Amino acid sequence: MMHFPSRRTVLGAASAVTLLALTACGNVAGGSTDSSKYPNGPVSLTVGQAAGGSTDLIARAISEGASKTLGAPMPVVNKPGANGALATKEVAGKPADGQNLLLVTASLITITPLAVTADEAVSIDDLDIIAGLSQDDYVLVASKASGFNSIKDLTGAGRNITFGTTGVGTGSQLAQTVLFKQAGIKGTDVPFDSGKPALTAVLGNQVEVSTIQLGEAMPQIKAGKVTPLLVFSEERNSFLPDVPTAKESGYDVPVAQYRAVAAPKGTPKDVKDKLLAAIKETFKSDSYKEFNKKNMLTPKEISGEEVVTQWKDYAAKYKSLVEKYDISLSGTK
Amino acid sequence: MDFLNPVINGFAVVLEPSNLLYCLIGVVIGMLIGVLPGLGPAATIAILLPLTYNVEPVTAIIMLAGIFYGAQYGGTITSVLLRLPGEASSVVTVFDGYQMSKQGKAGTALGLASIGSFIGGTASIVGLTFLAPVVASFALDFGPAEYSALALLGILLVATISNGAKTKALIAAAVGLLLATVGRDIFTGESRFTFGNLELADGIDFVPIAMGIFGLGEILYNLEERHRAAKAPSKVTNVWPSRTDLAQASGAIARGSVLGFFLGILPGGGATIASMASYAMEKKRAKQPERFGKGAPEGVAGPETANNAAATSSFIPLLTLGIPANATMALMFGALLIQGVTPGPQLVEQDPGLFWGVVNSMYIGNILLLIMSLPLVGIFVKILRVRAAILAPVTALITLLGAYTINNSMFDVTLVVVFGIVGYLMKKFGFEPGPLVLAFVLGSLLESSLRRSLLVFGGDPTGFFTRPISATLLIVFVLVAVLPGIRTLLAKWTTAPSEQPITTKIKEKV
Repeated sequence: MMHFPSRRTVLGAASAVTLLALTACGNVAGGSTDSSKYPNGPVSLTVGQAAGGSTDLIARAISEGASKTLGAPMPVVNKPGANGALATKEVAGKPADGQNLLLVTASLITITPLAVTADEAVSIDDLDIIAGLSQDDYVLVASKASGFNSIKDLTGAGRNITFGTTGVGTGSQLAQTVLFKQAGIKGTDVPFDSGKPALTAVLGNQVEVSTIQLGEAMPQIKAGKVTPLLVFSEERNSFLPDVPTAKESGYDVPVAQYRAVAAPKGTPKDVKDKLLAAIKETFKSDSYKEFNKKNMLTPKEISGEEVVTQWKDYAAKYKSLVEKYDISLSGTK
Repeated sequence: MDFLNPVINGFAVVLEPSNLLYCLIGVVIGMLIGVLPGLGPAATIAILLPLTYNVEPVTAIIMLAGIFYGAQYGGTITSVLLRLPGEASSVVTVFDGYQMSKQGKAGTALGLASIGSFIGGTASIVGLTFLAPVVASFALDFGPAEYSALALLGILLVATISNGAKTKALIAAAVGLLLATVGRDIFTGESRFTFGNLELADGIDFVPIAMGIFGLGEILYNLEERHRAAKAPSKVTNVWPSRTDLAQASGAIARGSVLGFFLGILPGGGATIASMASYAMEKKRAKQPERFGKGAPEGVAGPETANNAAATSSFIPLLTLGIPANATMALMFGALLIQGVTPGPQLVEQDPGLFWGVVNSMYIGNILLLIMSLPLVGIFVKILRVRAAILAPVTALITLLGAYTINNSMFDVTLVVVFGIVGYLMKKFGFEPGPLVLAFVLGSLLESSLRRSLLVFGGDPTGFFTRPISATLLIVFVLVAVLPGIRTLLAKWTTAPSEQPITTKIKEKV
């Protein structure tokens, strides 16, 4: 039996070497920062959400178009976690050479800080915004069994209404809590993990109303299984022209999801110009326009500076709204 | 027969070339790991989870399912030929299978096992086909209250019915529930047990836990065991069983199908329990029980039918209720979640292509297995001779690489290593990892559904009993919880010698 322990040692050692070899590959240094040669190799586009969601799909549509103009591959890297804060902090810490980009969502900047602790929140000032992309609207839907056909039915119900949200610190939650306060409706906030289960809950009348992203709710709206009551965009949505906005109905609660492409702070101007040109080229392509239409996204192709101003305005507005109506998004009142 | 339309469309999904290919890959991998003692289907599925990221959900699940039921086939081959059960579910096959093989009837034993497996698997698929739409018709009645009751029942059943010590299973389940609380509280946004680490803000991901506890833990544990070198097997000839053998086995196959089907549905049940129960039943029913252990064809046909029937039917609670019945199904649950598909009563309605594609792939997979298993016996025997010194580091490497690729995160790799060590220690000290992983999966469902229902009920817990489905489930929960106590009391009253159930000492290999 003398050889037996030695054989075990070999096994252990082999496994240990394997482990070490893997951990050693953890950090690969980035490329050089000579901006005249940009792009220097693949340009990664990090997404703070899981593959398959709408943010991820948008990133893939942008990468497909922009990589052609840039002449470099643009792999989409999913790094989900903490509503996108994880990915944002990671990209913000990368060298500012334009090789690492981020697809950033407005809610992370404007709404999430209202629900989480300060060290979990991220600031738009850590990033250089390259370009705004599109607007993704929220729609308030009611179950058939609730009998609500308009916002008037909701305000006139005179009882407590259960409403589903797509989670704490989301536009869905903010929009509904503010709307309910402004309209003086009594409601119970029931958070779900994302849009899909929230919609299913409305379908089964587990909650009476819910606010969901348009692309997700549309198939059930078209099938007549849920009733759209209003949209939270400032103007009527072109995909739901008959549904009134919250503003028309007299409520001041403009909430939508916006997305933009960003780079680490301090990225050289000529690199940003090249990126912007590539993204603008993508905007013009038919396949990208078709993509927006299919996913019910309204183009909002604005400059990086405009994105920063608008998002900061929204952040300030939401902050004043929750303070004014004494709303706590974390439900720990 | 309108309800059969999606079933037929499901076949179109399976017959897409890529799906057929993945089905083939799945069953071949399954057979392979079934042959190899050591890694079981759950460990293999855990290790291969990252591979499924870049394919369609239906393709991924078709492959993973193939691994699961393919393993039941593979385990039989080594049981019969080498007296080495590759899988826990084939342990009882050794008793009569190896004896038959010694009598020169190895071919007959394998043939009977294949035919039985095919019939058992098919019977379960038919059952699934008719049961699923019934459950799905209640789909929208399943709200938060029903899910809390289901999750509660699932955790209880898994912890109490599983093999091994009940206390240890309950402890493991409790740890699983605790792990599920890590991360952001989805009702308040408050961070729990994250220690300020953003990587933990969304909680611990299911995949590193599964890959660590099942995959790496299993690899480490196997290093302790010294495998017997495989002997040259007896020659396999004449695979078609004779008419007398078939006649003798046909009853066992029929009973095994039914028994396996029901034991597979039961949470905590599954292939291993089904095969043992079937063996016990056949032995009890036989006119000459003394033939068992000496090469009785029923002793091979019954358990092999039952384990396949159970492997297939354990998909029923997962695909129709979203409740995994055993550890392997918990992994399937995880795989579906990764793909953005939440298994539950809505699945049949919302994603009929996926549901029926997976179900129907099992027909194809069973046919593939029937055709392939016997010609490949020679290759499998050769594979058995690959030394653990080579196999273990390679699998460890694949596991860790896979863990990295999921989120491109070294943190995940660290988690896999940590949970690998936890899994190894658990096995070493006799804790089954299954209840931990299942409780982890169901834990977040239980917590969020419970709190959601209480919000809807306005904080009134009696609300659970005002809804028929949740009330029924909770009554079942109470019955399951108090039944063992009542049984002990009854046993004390009636002093008549009660029948001792067949020993279930054989550990479920995950």
